[in-house]
Amino acid sequence: MKIPIRMIGIATTVLWIFLIAFFVSAVYSVKDVRFNLGEPQTDITPNNKILFSLPVTIDNKGYYNIGSFNVTTEISDEEGFTITRGSTFIPIIEKGREITTTHNMMIDVNDLLQNSQDYLFNDTELEIHETIGMKLAEVIPVQASTNLSMPWGAPLYNFTLGEIEYTTFNLTHMRATIPISFENHAFFDLTGNIQIYMYNGTNILLGEGQTIIEAPQHASYQGYVELDVSIMGISESGYFEVYFLTPFFNFGPLVISYG
Amino acid sequence: MVEEKKDSKTRLQKITIKALKATIKGVIFYGIYFVLSMFLAPISEVVPGFQQTIEIFVIVYIFLMIIGELTSGTIFQHFFNTAKALFVILYLIFSLEGGIMSMTFQNVNLVVDLRLFLMIAILLSLLGVAKSVLKAVNFLNGKAEHQHF
Repeated sequence: MKIPIRMIGIATTVLWIFLIAFFVSAVYSVKDVRFNLGEPQTDITPNNKILFSLPVTIDNKGYYNIGSFNVTTEISDEEGFTITRGSTFIPIIEKGREITTTHNMMIDVNDLLQNSQDYLFNDTELEIHETIGMKLAEVIPVQASTNLSMPWGAPLYNFTLGEIEYTTFNLTHMRATIPISFENHAFFDLTGNIQIYMYNGTNILLGEGQTIIEAPQHASYQGYVELDVSIMGISESGYFEVYFLTPFFNFGPLVISYG
Repeated sequence: MVEEKKDSKTRLQKITIKALKATIKGVIFYGIYFVLSMFLAPISEVVPGFQQTIEIFVIVYIFLMIIGELTSGTIFQHFFNTAKALFVILYLIFSLEGGIMSMTFQNVNLVVDLRLFLMIAILLSLLGVAKSVLKAVNFLNGKAEHQHF
């Protein structure tokens, strides 16, 4: 009986030593692992989506490999609607190696506008849920997560149509000049086309016009649209239907009344 | 009278040896803890209360170990050894929050999944319990045989 008991004792002691040594060294080696997040960059993809790129560098100088390294970013609005989600997975980072990868996320503004038009005209805050997960020594799962907020600048902030100015065009038509102004608060340059349809008080289409816009990021835009409208149909009040056609989004009609 | 004096001298010698053994074991265990605590220092800086948790564990463990050593040669030694193994199991379960430890500092929420480590530690502790029970059975068996002959 004494020998089996002694064998159990020896086996238990050896396993305890192995377990504690492994655990302590795995935890201790974390201090030699370096994570660096580079400068985030924005770009436009060929299919006109906004691409966020975040360079991530992992320098594993620890004693063990790191397994299942995973970075996940979820961007949502203040009401919790998920706008985009990006994930980067590295199956293994061997000890002594440095790996640089790019964590990408794409935003389709058209998808964004399906949830709310406010993104075009009002600045807001977007919630970012960032999660970094890994397996220390390929067996101890660790996950760190944080919530951040990011300002969203509206590309058509304070979009307004000014007072209509009429000038004589010919006997039957007048030329209406409608001033347009807005501020591009977005982080991308806005180029595209604005189409305006002018209706009178009895919902009759008076005329249509369009203009090309070019508004660099964080700059204000002032321009105008000219429409040839029938003199007979002009009324004191009515409304405009405005359509925006840009590489990033198509939106309309935005109804703005006049008079 | 001489025999009684000799008997008390032997008993004192035995107690001294036990105490010395217990002291050496306690010092060695504390030495191991001291070395390991240096490696675990980075965690102590990040996780509040980690140092205290480990210290309480070490104090109770060393206490049970010394008591077990002082009571060696009696059935109580096996009780204390079993208690020590059970204490390790319960303390690990409570201090590791069932294996999934979650802590928040500043704006970062950190989750560490130690279920595998906990499971292995519990199995090893159960092996320790089994060993103590076997030792107790063996001790009682030996005592019975001694009385019989």
